[in-house]
Amino acid sequence: MNPDLSVRIDKVKFSNPVLVASGTFGYGEEYGSIFDLNKLGGIITKSITLNPREGHPPPRTCETSAGMLNCIGLANVGIDRFIKEKLPFLRTLKTKVIVNVAGSSVEEYVKVVKRLEGKKVIDLLEINISCPNVKEGGIVFGSNPESAYRCIKAVKENTSFPIIAKLSPNVSDIVEIALAANEAGADAVSLINTLVGMAIDLETKKPRLTNITGGLSGPAIKPVALAMVWKVAQKVKIPIIGIGGIMNYQDAIEFILAGACMIQIGTGNFVDPECSIEIVEGLRKYCRENRIKKIGDLVGKLKTK
Amino acid sequence: MIYKEEGSIFSIESLNEKVFRLKIFSPNIAQKALPGNFCHLRVNQTYSPLLRRAFSFRKVEKDKNSFELLIKVVGPGTELLSRKNPGEKIDLLAPLGNSFTIPKKNEDMVLLGGGMGIAPLFYLIDFLLKKKYNPEKITLFFGVKKKEELILIEELVSSGIKLHITTEDGSAGYKGLITSLFYQELKEKRVIIKNTKFYACGPNPMLKEVSSISRRLNLNCQISLENHMPCGIGACLGCVVNTVKGYKRVCKDGPVFDAREVILD
Repeated sequence: MNPDLSVRIDKVKFSNPVLVASGTFGYGEEYGSIFDLNKLGGIITKSITLNPREGHPPPRTCETSAGMLNCIGLANVGIDRFIKEKLPFLRTLKTKVIVNVAGSSVEEYVKVVKRLEGKKVIDLLEINISCPNVKEGGIVFGSNPESAYRCIKAVKENTSFPIIAKLSPNVSDIVEIALAANEAGADAVSLINTLVGMAIDLETKKPRLTNITGGLSGPAIKPVALAMVWKVAQKVKIPIIGIGGIMNYQDAIEFILAGACMIQIGTGNFVDPECSIEIVEGLRKYCRENRIKKIGDLVGKLKTK
Repeated sequence: MIYKEEGSIFSIESLNEKVFRLKIFSPNIAQKALPGNFCHLRVNQTYSPLLRRAFSFRKVEKDKNSFELLIKVVGPGTELLSRKNPGEKIDLLAPLGNSFTIPKKNEDMVLLGGGMGIAPLFYLIDFLLKKKYNPEKITLFFGVKKKEELILIEELVSSGIKLHITTEDGSAGYKGLITSLFYQELKEKRVIIKNTKFYACGPNPMLKEVSSISRRLNLNCQISLENHMPCGIGACLGCVVNTVKGYKRVCKDGPVFDAREVILD
């Protein structure tokens, strides 16, 4: 029996539920020299803003217990160069392409998504309303339900692509934000972005990151992410994409049981560049061994009693 | 071509209190690694430490399908590596990064290796000598804190290159910083700038000084940088260094940069 790993979000059909998370996979090219990218469910690009961004000064990353902090600062080539220099490579792929969009105002988000309109290579947009490192990087919109609603609604009205709202865990109630995104017309929500964290060098008494705080990712945040996915799944009807410290297929299945229909691999790509495609194979094997015909049958099947 | 290969530890040998030499059998990587390239390896299969560690190639033996790394114990990751045993498998991603530009036949070369920064220069020298480069055209400054850190010095002595040793405590060679002696040799014209290719690798304060001298005297100097690199292949933008052309990725645009262009702090 060959289990069906395909998943659908709106009209887009993915061959499997494994995506690679924005910011950990560049624009795809780098990992293309290591494995066949078409084995992925889809690729999510680095966040694109209207203008190019240099990002924060180094040091931008530091390792912590079972995790890492980063404050890249949304460094990216900007929409013009993205279209000219990065889309042609993505066009050579058969896997689904999701472009992550960030902005400092609703107008900026709208301008960027309008520029992407009609680009056939793109399948979906992920709207980053949750970057913890840049004030104008979306967190302004992702931290309360009203502004999240406004931003997602404006984007939805100006694009024909299905959209995913990427949510921040650095809020008092992520469920409220997810509901607002749902109501504003998001076709899916992805969660969680990184948790705000910090590390200090005792010798110099300085923070290890120039931005002082950064975003924590990796296995350290998996339990937090899993709980948030589960909570959101109790209330929100649109598909949920689980993100947070997923390193192997067992982690992925935990997220699926908690209610995610797809998952994203972030920091795992750094630890093992082939982690994502190994997870695809792991899911296939798990379904076969457990006589699960369709991966979708597992979504939200957590037994709480 | 980047290989993700499971290497096998051939030998592990302590060179002083902190530094050890790891020899790894890894056919694909050994065939492709160039001087200046680095290897990104996973310390173990747990999440402690989580991220890979980057080391430059200190020697590559194509005919034996193997390469060597020089590793100094500086934290938990390198401590765990120091306890590996021959025969153990090790998860490798390599060769990564750019490589040193090789000089034309028998141009003068001046190399500066500070501390562990000697590692990629060992490979550069060996690579050139195997290609019948005249050893008398190669001058190496090897600077350390104390003489115990002059690892594998016999190999350098017997290679026939010109060698300047500096130690900060004066326990061997010139007493002082490598960059002080280097600058003195430049000023007194014992090191000629015209048509000479310069190469440097070492701790940041040293490279900052080399970079500043290179700008001042317009040296054709390549420096190899080190940094924490989460991905190692240019995707995460976590390891950037500031340059006159903006932020550059140490792992992908480097680790070898023109010393005149890098802005270190």
